[in-house]
Amino acid sequence: MSTSPSPALLARVAALSVAIVFFQIGVVSEVPLFGVTVDLTPLLVAFVGLLGGSLLGAATGFAVGLLVDLTLLQTLGVTSLVFTLIGYWAGRLRELRDPQAALTPLLVGAAAAAAALTGYSLVEFLLGVDAPVSLELLRQIILGTIVGTIFALPMYAIVRRALGGALPEDPRRRRRRRAYTTGGLSPLTKA
Amino acid sequence: MYDKTVRRRRAVLGLLVVLSLLLLTAYFGEAPNGRLHAVQRDFLAVVSPIQDGANKALKPVRDLFGWFGDTFSAKGQRDELRREIDKLRPQLIAAQAKERTYEQLLALYHLERLGLSDYHPVTATVIGQSPNIWYQRVAIDKGTPDGVRVNDPVVNAEGLVGRVVAVYPDGAQVDLITDSSMGVTARIGTSSATGLVVPKVGEPNVLLMRYLPPNTVATKGELVVTSGTVAPPDNSLYPPGLLIGQVTSTNEESAYTSVNVRPAVDLHHLDVVDVLTSGAGGRASRLSTLIANLPAQSQGGAGQAEQLAATGSGG
Repeated sequence: MSTSPSPALLARVAALSVAIVFFQIGVVSEVPLFGVTVDLTPLLVAFVGLLGGSLLGAATGFAVGLLVDLTLLQTLGVTSLVFTLIGYWAGRLRELRDPQAALTPLLVGAAAAAAALTGYSLVEFLLGVDAPVSLELLRQIILGTIVGTIFALPMYAIVRRALGGALPEDPRRRRRRRAYTTGGLSPLTKA
Repeated sequence: MYDKTVRRRRAVLGLLVVLSLLLLTAYFGEAPNGRLHAVQRDFLAVVSPIQDGANKALKPVRDLFGWFGDTFSAKGQRDELRREIDKLRPQLIAAQAKERTYEQLLALYHLERLGLSDYHPVTATVIGQSPNIWYQRVAIDKGTPDGVRVNDPVVNAEGLVGRVVAVYPDGAQVDLITDSSMGVTARIGTSSATGLVVPKVGEPNVLLMRYLPPNTVATKGELVVTSGTVAPPDNSLYPPGLLIGQVTSTNEESAYTSVNVRPAVDLHHLDVVDVLTSGAGGRASRLSTLIANLPAQSQGGAGQAEQLAATGSGG
């Protein structure tokens, strides 16, 4: 269930978003890897959603998308739309499934990178940009997803560290609380 | 309580999605001088100094990342370049001889080949680049006060980079030659065949030179340069002889021949570029006017003027 994020959390998310967007534009965009450019912004949005819930994820997605579109003079609304959906989806994943596996950030990062690239393409097709589906475009989407996946774990660590104790319910703290209520032991060790 | 939370969550999502769609529709439908575009320009004016500062501060980090990539590819590039130099040396000698003839013929018409210094180049730093393959554009830190205007060509030491599409007090936006909005009249180095260089649809890093005459012979590795047409109807914004790229293959699928061109400029590593800000009254501008006022049969571009010069007719 999503609750209203605290002002401290909002401030941390805002500062992190601005820092990551400028780092993306100033550094990461100019360093291609395997022929594609790494895009950290969908990872940021997905991990804010994963840690903070669907409301915070969707709002962060909208704000980060708007910032990217404004700064790069892109069509306003395209990135906001795609990122809002990514942030919301990641938040709902946390609220419904509460995944605890260590590989969860990797899978969420891969899904976010793939969703962002596919989402851009879909919206641009709908807007009538002259670029039919081609093997090259498919290659760009696949490579972009792989590169996004590579950066998912470090990005998750950065987001988690930056948001820190301001999170409404940190999964680590929840695990610790569960362990405490069962006396720190699992039923197996009791037996 | 639970229902209320669910309703609120859905309402916020719906609101943000609708807001995005409204922004998208309004922005896409309005003119470039519309309200949302103005907001975007104002925003850029505010963040441009921050972006510029961040860009300079983060340059060492960027260089470090770039160094790793460069080291990996340096060996392969060195071998390839050595082979290319061996192949190009005889062509260079032939080209120098041809250039001497070309210069002499041009002198007959009291025309000199335009040097880039006549275009008042303004050196600018690239302060932002879109990570999205759909937007082949960069932001630079020179704008209106530096004499930068819309449609000014942008080059670097490797060749043609693109053209200015929007100018602001603190910077400008440059569409790269691989952007879908670009089209450059060009010719293949060793022939007089001219065509239009556009981005290859679906392949963001490849250019396509279209509308070449059917009998055009283009071999792999030949250089493609701007034709520099200046008179209507084939207006070209670019000075003649700017390197665009190299021919990689030829397509013969229609009445016209087309060739695939690999851009000469490494568009992923743009640090510093020159904006050619030839102002009204400048030498380049005067020369453009002169060519535009040539007799009727020689109008239609510098390409035809060059052909006239080569055949020695029309004088």
